[in-house]
Amino acid sequence: MSTADRTDVLVDRYLSDLDAALRGLPAARRQQIIDEITEHISEGRSGLQHDDEVGLRELLDRVGDPDDIAVEEAVDYPRPRTDAGDAWVPWLLLFGGFAFGVGWFVGVALLWWSKTWSVRDKLLGTLIIPGGLASLFIAMGGLVAIPARAETCTASGGPLVPTTTHCTQSGSSLSAVVAILVAICLLLAPILVAVHLERVRRRA
Amino acid sequence: MSVEATSTGTPIPTSRFLSESFTAITCCMVPGNEYAWVAQLRRGAAEHCVLALLRHGEGYGFDLARILVNADGLIASEGTIYPLLARLRRHGLVETTWRESGEGPPRRYYRLTGAGEESLALFADHWKVFRDAVDQILNEGDAT
Repeated sequence: MSTADRTDVLVDRYLSDLDAALRGLPAARRQQIIDEITEHISEGRSGLQHDDEVGLRELLDRVGDPDDIAVEEAVDYPRPRTDAGDAWVPWLLLFGGFAFGVGWFVGVALLWWSKTWSVRDKLLGTLIIPGGLASLFIAMGGLVAIPARAETCTASGGPLVPTTTHCTQSGSSLSAVVAILVAICLLLAPILVAVHLERVRRRA
Repeated sequence: MSVEATSTGTPIPTSRFLSESFTAITCCMVPGNEYAWVAQLRRGAAEHCVLALLRHGEGYGFDLARILVNADGLIASEGTIYPLLARLRRHGLVETTWRESGEGPPRRYYRLTGAGEESLALFADHWKVFRDAVDQILNEGDAT
């Protein structure tokens, strides 16, 4: 990499670090600060005796840590606190269904009302899976019941021989295994979604 | 680590700045909060020092940043002057004009407004009193 390329990389990386640090700001203000700092760096470079990497690194040190700039901005643009109900959302989505289903609906309402999550995350939380773990337990009960109901009982015997009933399971053991695997996947999906929502909330 | 962002960033009511500083100092003497009052004090002083630098004419960001950074500890780094300048502008203490610069793109020049001059004059008076009072008490401890 030539020196010119390296210095450009340095500046680009600094500016993208700055952009990340200013993430909490309104877009217009963030752009304005980045423009001002970009100008500042250009001005500084034109004043350098040798526009080499050492000079540029010193210049960027003087411009300062992007986090310091973000702290100063935060005085005028305090980060909005996440909504109070947010912490409940992942729990309600997972377990709220057990409270007569009402809890899940409350969770969905809080989810959509909150500003913390993107529309995509909100759709994930709503559709995977409606009713949360409660729905799954009901569904799993059905899945377990199906192979059992596949038993057929035949009676054999005649007038002279005591009747015996002979029951066989016509479902194969394979369908039971499949059912268990499906159940595990269905169990994991809403848990993973809830974990994802919680992580997004903590990062906010 | 995080520095709590306080709502105090307004340099206009200078007397309020001083009373808030006193409150900050007395309320925040708990260890761990030391950084908070220093930051507040430095911020108020830095804002008025920018106003002072503009007392004799216009200035633009790059120059102002250079001078302030050399005054040990007033601002953390050159980049942090831009939020400060934006704050002064927002409170009507400075106004800006764009001017052509010789070799580069146009520059934004900052200039004191009437309100800025008043605020600076108030600060200069109060700061002198404040500084002398603190110095006196600090030195009395040594003089015994």
